[in-house]
Amino acid sequence: MTRRRQHLRTALAVAVVTSTMAVPAAAPAGAQEKSTFTVGVIQDMDAFNVTLGVTLSSFEAWNNHYPTLTDKSEDDFSVEPSLAESWTGSADGLTWTYKLREGLTWSDGEPLTAEDVVYTINRSRDEEWSNHYSTVANITAEATDELTVVLTSSEPDPKLPVMDVYIVPPQVYEGLDADALSAHKAIDDPGGGPFVMKEWKKGQFWRMEANDSYWRGRPAVDELIFRVYTNPDALIAALKSGEIDATGDIPANQFDLLKNESDITVIAGNQGGFNELSINAGDGLGDFHPAVADPIVRRAIAHAIDRQTLLDRVLNGLGSLTPAMSTSASPEWDLVLPEAEQYGFDPDTARQLLEDAGYVDTDDDGVREDPDGRPLEFRYLSRSESELSAPLADFIGEWLKDIGIEIKIEVLSDTQLTPRIAEGTYEMFVWGWVPYVDPDPMLSYFTCSEISDDPESPGWNDANWCDPEYDRLYKEQNRELDPERRHEIVQEMLKIFHDSASYVVLFKTDDLNAFRNDRFTDVVCEPTETGPFLFTNTGKTYQRIRPVEDGETGSADCGERVAAASGGDAGDTASTADDSGSSAGLVIGLVAALVVLAGIVVFVLAKRKPADERE
Amino acid sequence: MGRRRAARVRRRRSLARSWSLFRAHTPGMAGLVVLAAFVLLALAAPLISDAGGLKVTHAIGNPQWAHPSSEFPLGTDNLGRSVAAQFVWGSRISLFVGLMATLLTMVIGSVVGIASGFFGRWIDAGLMRVTEWFLVIPFLPLAIVLAKILGPSVWNVIFVIGITSWPATARVIRAQVLSVKERLFVERSRALGAGTWHLTSRHVLPNVAPLILANTTLTVPIAILTETTLAFVGLGDPTRASWGKTLEEAFAAGAVIGRNAWWYYLPAGVGIIAVVMAFTLCGHALEEILNPKLRER
Repeated sequence: MTRRRQHLRTALAVAVVTSTMAVPAAAPAGAQEKSTFTVGVIQDMDAFNVTLGVTLSSFEAWNNHYPTLTDKSEDDFSVEPSLAESWTGSADGLTWTYKLREGLTWSDGEPLTAEDVVYTINRSRDEEWSNHYSTVANITAEATDELTVVLTSSEPDPKLPVMDVYIVPPQVYEGLDADALSAHKAIDDPGGGPFVMKEWKKGQFWRMEANDSYWRGRPAVDELIFRVYTNPDALIAALKSGEIDATGDIPANQFDLLKNESDITVIAGNQGGFNELSINAGDGLGDFHPAVADPIVRRAIAHAIDRQTLLDRVLNGLGSLTPAMSTSASPEWDLVLPEAEQYGFDPDTARQLLEDAGYVDTDDDGVREDPDGRPLEFRYLSRSESELSAPLADFIGEWLKDIGIEIKIEVLSDTQLTPRIAEGTYEMFVWGWVPYVDPDPMLSYFTCSEISDDPESPGWNDANWCDPEYDRLYKEQNRELDPERRHEIVQEMLKIFHDSASYVVLFKTDDLNAFRNDRFTDVVCEPTETGPFLFTNTGKTYQRIRPVEDGETGSADCGERVAAASGGDAGDTASTADDSGSSAGLVIGLVAALVVLAGIVVFVLAKRKPADERE
Repeated sequence: MGRRRAARVRRRRSLARSWSLFRAHTPGMAGLVVLAAFVLLALAAPLISDAGGLKVTHAIGNPQWAHPSSEFPLGTDNLGRSVAAQFVWGSRISLFVGLMATLLTMVIGSVVGIASGFFGRWIDAGLMRVTEWFLVIPFLPLAIVLAKILGPSVWNVIFVIGITSWPATARVIRAQVLSVKERLFVERSRALGAGTWHLTSRHVLPNVAPLILANTTLTVPIAILTETTLAFVGLGDPTRASWGKTLEEAFAAGAVIGRNAWWYYLPAGVGIIAVVMAFTLCGHALEEILNPKLRER
């Protein structure tokens, strides 16, 4: 259930115009005023059908619409009751028995029973629904009575008792075979989560209504609207003007400005998202420069990049450094590596590595050649859909030039990038991931079988890297029931992947969230102390928020950070006001200077005229 | 030899007359002064500003979003680079692309226009259909699609602008050729046995040349604006500073709406307006001088 983060940026002015047309149907003027929580998003859903969608936006909608057997705690993602009130495991860890709550119903009034849970799990395994399959691949579900679900795993499964696949309503799905399902829009399906999907206008907004029959009770907010903005500037303007109540898509370069707004609370939280420079390790398809298949070249590249500077200058410090990829929303799974073994910024080491391996600049043009005389000129694929791409390409290009490697930047959209990676016709690219809670899916992506053998249906392994030892350890951790031992194996796997230097992890990126504290209160961060409150793993914010009462200022359940983020802003605000005052003055001055200059030119020329004519 | 010298003297006199007319043309002169200033700036870029100032890795120690100061005359951008350096170096690419693209436009437009007007009949019909085809396709989408397909580089941008903006020139020149080729001296020359090459290069071309020149100065601003547009939507050369790229980066970095970092985007914007304005003024002045019908007096 890991998914690519797909931040979009305006490509064309046309797109700006459409975003302003994204006005949802006005709330009907009822007797009682409806409370609507409006969230601004940059990325629309790709599909609401759980068997098709991959975007974060789709997950955010599903978390609200569909019930799950178990939930995750907002403190540390530990397993919590949801539809299942309690569960017990057998001694061998292969069989788990879940007891459902009594009186559960779907939003259409149909009872929600053990049979419904069993239906979803078995069907999604049989038909290999992409978002469910990694969780249910080895599991057989059975309902022993109305309220009891028994899951039997053919292999030991460390992820159990967590069972968080979205439970779909059989009263609709039984009438859909696999073909019909792939065309199913799912918008009017009954739901079992806190909100139910009601309307989706692609590229404009989607609207969800509170579910009266939600087992935790109807949420305090009557309606959720997710409004799509194609341009971050328009999004920020909408937040400031109160057109939207919250957003999870603040660009890093605007975050510090929003801190000064007293009506807006901003929160920077991490849930494992990171950006990497991926170097084609050469185990996949394609026509690539043979030098990148040499781990020494990849390590030299890793040493040439100053990640601290990237974090400070490109991300404005809104993130953190990590030696290897993160595989979980929880930092406990991150690789712990002594500084000496990490790829520190050291161009001299990088040059030495290349020199010793026979990559020497033989023709003195500043670019090294490989032993066959091919210059180290690498294609660097840059994403058009992230505002970080251009500065990252600038920095990385200059550092690599410094050690004698030239890059050729190609700017691609995300939909072009995926097949290019599968094709293998590149040397490096920069992209990012947002992992799920359990490390298994993220680890699975770098196994040999995930390398694409057909660009038409790309696999997940976008490093084109393959290591039998890693694959062996992957299978081992996937059936290791002892959490400590599993943790050790994962560390070992991450170390192998780190040493291959096929993924140079640049930084972990914070999710930058904000909400209007003059409208709503009680947003929930996941994990509480370090995470964001929107686009989280369970969407607790939507269940807990409520409109503020008169004179109340909205608060966030996000640990210590909130005070730090929005406190002590009086001085800042004043100085900003000063800045804008003086800048307005300077603009006027500049314009005045231009006018005067133009005036002088015209005057001088006008005076010359009679003399010319006299000639 | 004597005849050639006479021709040369006549041309020099005519040039001098045009020049004195131009000098008397106030807006045209103002445009020329501004233009000269920018060309000087572009040529002297290496003397004024260190190219290293464009490098992000050289700007690591600089403050980000700094207001203009004595150290950074136009402040710094989101990565700490000097905006002044970007402005100076950007003028080179903007002018270079503008001029090269115009050259391409003029060559294609003149050849098509002269061929079409001079030969007439099916050549004319064929070439004019192609011209109309290019004219009816909306210019900007075509340029964007082409730039996207060809990939971002300075030469591709020049090619894209050249290939999309020649039809207007071709039609203007064709109209003039149609009138020139009916004149008596052309008839006479043809009666004396002059071939196609002689007629087009010695009689037609010199007579449409002033029009080409005036058209050129009016096309450069369009080319510069197109370059800016392409760079702004991210289709320019990502490795070279240009004014359009500066505007694109300023917009992407939130300088325009969020931060109001006017020093980042205003110089490039003013630069583009000034150069475009200057070319337009010069172009109109030339048009007036070279086309007696437009001249008042």
